[in-house]
Amino acid sequence: MRCSVCGREAVIKLRHAGLRLCPEHLVARVEKEVASAIRRFRMFSPEERILVAISGGKDSLALWHILAELGYRVDGLYIDLGIAGYSAPSREASEDFARARGLTLHVVSLAAELGASLDELTRLARGKTCSLCGTVKRYLMNKLAWEGEYQALATGHNLDDEAATLLGNVLRWDEGYLARQYPVLPGEGKLVRKVKPMVFLSEREMAAYCLIRGIEYLYQDCPHAEGARSIALKDVLNRLEDRYPSTKISFLRQFLKVRDRFRPPAPVVLHDCPSCGMPTAAEGPCRFCRLKDTVARHASRVTEDRGAAA
Amino acid sequence: MVILKRKGEAYTVPAGKTLEQALRELGILPETVLAVRDGRILPLSHRLEEGEELELVDVISGG
Repeated sequence: MRCSVCGREAVIKLRHAGLRLCPEHLVARVEKEVASAIRRFRMFSPEERILVAISGGKDSLALWHILAELGYRVDGLYIDLGIAGYSAPSREASEDFARARGLTLHVVSLAAELGASLDELTRLARGKTCSLCGTVKRYLMNKLAWEGEYQALATGHNLDDEAATLLGNVLRWDEGYLARQYPVLPGEGKLVRKVKPMVFLSEREMAAYCLIRGIEYLYQDCPHAEGARSIALKDVLNRLEDRYPSTKISFLRQFLKVRDRFRPPAPVVLHDCPSCGMPTAAEGPCRFCRLKDTVARHASRVTEDRGAAA
Repeated sequence: MVILKRKGEAYTVPAGKTLEQALRELGILPETVLAVRDGRILPLSHRLEEGEELELVDVISGG
């Protein structure tokens, strides 16, 4: 199998792109696609400061690497969620990556910010673990990007992630989510702009990119992701892709052409949370502050019980 | 025979097949893994050689 660009030995066939690529041209394609998405969707300019959400996995580390290579002013943010058996190695992979390249990584701990790790929160609060995790991560990423005066928050969502999210939204005909699904979410007040520069790159390409570039990422999946709906959706899409190549990219690209037809049910009015001052869609304390309150009340009950027992 | 290692498990397949054929026979969608030998990615068209040992890297992340 020969590289479609240079004719040398190819290592990967990208059926959805009609390409066979050698390591050198796979790297070139990935970096070009990221640069092109940034330009096409006007994600950010070279003068702006970008914060990349880092998980220690292939996508976020690759994105950080590419943005730094492209010369953007980019720092990383790692949120230590305190997930047993997972957070420690993912944090180590993120810190090692930053150290080896002389990049700045901000590390925050959920336990310090909320008073409980994700594992503890799951036991104390109502809601599914992945939903609670999404809530606290979105809050902390935005807060830290806002406080750090970053103009955009970048995440490593790839084609497979976006196609799976889209399928999930379509299966529920969730107009609000469909209207918001886009490679750029503009900033508003204290909500920092959110961007997804790898939206047209497949998981397979990103894993290959990391292997070729020598990016050492954490292979392990989050233990809470087992049985997650997103994995089932990806599985369905991969089976379709196997039979009908380009399913995922066509699904996403065609959606982006018709997305304007979807409207959120009602315009969202943002309020400042009276407790932390960050934006919230409802009046009163934001979800993060309410979770923090739940954790604090539990801690206070435990202290009282211990006092009574003594 | 050829050994394919994935997530701590080892699968044995006969030499002579292509990597894609071997993956399909094991019920693994070729799109979901990368095969690596000595740090180098092998194409799905790679013909498996007697005594080879390959690592299968899962590319689908969860969550």
